[in-house]
Amino acid sequence: MADLDQFRAQVREWCAAHVPAGWRQAQTGASPEQFTEFQQAWFAELRSGGYAVPHWPAEWGGGLSTAEQIVLYQELAAHDAPRLVLAFISIHHAAATLLAAGTPDQRSRHLPAILDGEIWCQGFSEPEAGSDLASLRTTARRAGDRYIVNGQKLWSTWAMAADWCLLLARTDPDAPKRRGISYFLLDMRVPGIELRPIRQATGEWHFCEMFLDDAEIPASSLVGAENEGWQVAQATLSAERGMTMLELAERLGNAGLARLIETGRQAAGGRLTAGGLIADRLAAFDTEITGLRAMCRTVVERHDTGRAGPADASVVKLFYSELLQRMTDFGTELAGLPAHTELEKPLSGSYESGAWLLDFIGSWEWTIPGGSSEIQRNIIGERGLGLPREPAVTP
Amino acid sequence: MTDELTQAREELRTVARALLAKSGPRPDWQLLAGPGWPGLEIAPELGGSGATFAEIAVIATELGRAVAVSPFLGTVVLGAGLLAGISPAAGRDALLRDIAAGRSRVAVAMATGDDAVAGDAAPFRVQRVNGRLTVHGTARFVPDAMAADHILLLGREDSGRPVAVQLGAAELRAEPQPVVDETRQLAVVEAGGARVSSAAVWQFAGDPEAAVRALAGRAALAVACDSLGVAEAMLEATVSYAGKRCQFGRPIGSFQAVKHACADMLVQVSMARELVSGAAGAVAGDAAEAPAAVSMAKSYACAAAVSVVGKAIQLHGGIGYTWEAGLHAYLKRAALNRSLFGSPAAHRQLLAQRYA
Repeated sequence: MADLDQFRAQVREWCAAHVPAGWRQAQTGASPEQFTEFQQAWFAELRSGGYAVPHWPAEWGGGLSTAEQIVLYQELAAHDAPRLVLAFISIHHAAATLLAAGTPDQRSRHLPAILDGEIWCQGFSEPEAGSDLASLRTTARRAGDRYIVNGQKLWSTWAMAADWCLLLARTDPDAPKRRGISYFLLDMRVPGIELRPIRQATGEWHFCEMFLDDAEIPASSLVGAENEGWQVAQATLSAERGMTMLELAERLGNAGLARLIETGRQAAGGRLTAGGLIADRLAAFDTEITGLRAMCRTVVERHDTGRAGPADASVVKLFYSELLQRMTDFGTELAGLPAHTELEKPLSGSYESGAWLLDFIGSWEWTIPGGSSEIQRNIIGERGLGLPREPAVTP
Repeated sequence: MTDELTQAREELRTVARALLAKSGPRPDWQLLAGPGWPGLEIAPELGGSGATFAEIAVIATELGRAVAVSPFLGTVVLGAGLLAGISPAAGRDALLRDIAAGRSRVAVAMATGDDAVAGDAAPFRVQRVNGRLTVHGTARFVPDAMAADHILLLGREDSGRPVAVQLGAAELRAEPQPVVDETRQLAVVEAGGARVSSAAVWQFAGDPEAAVRALAGRAALAVACDSLGVAEAMLEATVSYAGKRCQFGRPIGSFQAVKHACADMLVQVSMARELVSGAAGAVAGDAAEAPAAVSMAKSYACAAAVSVVGKAIQLHGGIGYTWEAGLHAYLKRAALNRSLFGSPAAHRQLLAQRYA
């Protein structure tokens, strides 16, 4: 415990010295180039402090204990640090995939490169494969020591900045849905990849459509066995062990709640009266965020001791995303007409910008992707509570 | 250490659940005294087991899960809790010893509504007139007073200082206060100027105002635990029913409308459990954030329980609305719990003082 207190003091000192002052203003209205540059610089800064990939094994440059990681994310949130948005897939999903199922060559090729700033995106969803991901249609046909990939991917976050892509493609068109899918590492510089940015509801451009037209992948970039990509994807999707949700919950509980209280105070004419309607709603949000943060710690600790429940991740994701939506909705209501004059929000943060309407609109980015709230409720009902599955529709 | 404690608590939970399942909804107090529940927090030298509020929380949750009729709230949460904060006084240790042994049941006559947390929890007045001490006042909705062997009053001296007063049954008037929830036994306790000796006026050991607030906080948290247990029981009953009951040729739990409602119940129960267990740890460790943690747990868990039981009745359909099915008892208890020792709004009002 004393060691942990010492670690917390060390992180605090580091944050006080290294969190860039005024980054929110600087990142408001930033160009894609300014965003990328800032993200890379912040990543390098964290790396030099030893905090960029705390969850990786020590031999690859990580090695912080779970308890230390929790402290790290608590302190980064408390100091209102920028968030690693661009490197998110790289340090979490890509690294987890490589560590869990990658070959030694794949690991040594990519893990150090990620530390040097290699950016990854994800090519899972397709126009006809959203919530029903296993119905994906992109094909990878084996031709000697290569695979030839054709199809269309959707919702690849920051794909235009990515060097590599985690790709799911069908290698056996005759196998049942979940079998016959393979997992690949796709070099985004090969010919046959066309990207089209998708403008989202907030007006920003974080996502891409990806068209694959005879793009080639060497057989050495297959992860796991051919036709066993679904299992690889399932294993690595949960490999972040709830730590990213903990990070987001901490951000919401620090800057997010502080901004909501401040917005409430202004709406109440400068002073909040305990017992007033606004104060009552704020106390309810305060309570729910406290519960969420505690639950995130519980889930991380359960993962650590091998006691993770089958629906833990879904409970956290569902609660976080809907709480976020209700909170940003309330912030928008409190802020009134001025909320509508904030035309841009700072990049490099999450949902605690204080530009309430834009954060509210952006909250659907949490209730829809990564398994929509409806899918999460199915998972909670079926895996968490053991309720019967919906009968399959037989054609 | 932490793992051992957690494991010990889980064992306590398992034993409690089994005992209450066997005893039915009206367990004999002696039966609960057997495994030492009345003396959980009482010091070993007085016959207790020297545990903490975290263990009290386990039992309180299981009593709620069983919608059990029991004087645990009055005797253990309030009675033993109050006595633990009193300066050494004649009769105090004997009473604690009797509680630990299961020989005595105690009630504490104090405010038990919003006034317990947002106003004054000590409604009696101890007045000195012509050198004689008298006690006046009324406490309504006092838990477990009718079956209590001793009733302790929470009052204030002329100076305003909070004290506890021990009065004989003959000098008090206690009348049952019927409520819709038949699983809680409440009473109106009235003292109409009874004479009291100064030896029967007990002083708090520390800051008396803080002690009174802490006592009301303990009670609020115990009620939050109870509501968590009520909600857990209703979630399990509903999931079991939805897996068996068939309509349109399939179990109703396979329909998303039903499944998603159950998922929402699980989320609410999980969140309530986090807040309750966090608050129990804070109270057990006497942490600075304990009052806020209690208010969060009380406001969330008690509101969630009403919502969860409501969904349970809805998803059970017509049968859920019958007296025979028994779900009504959970709804009534959850609704009473929500009001006891501070409504969600009253507790949020306490929390909101931090934003001023």
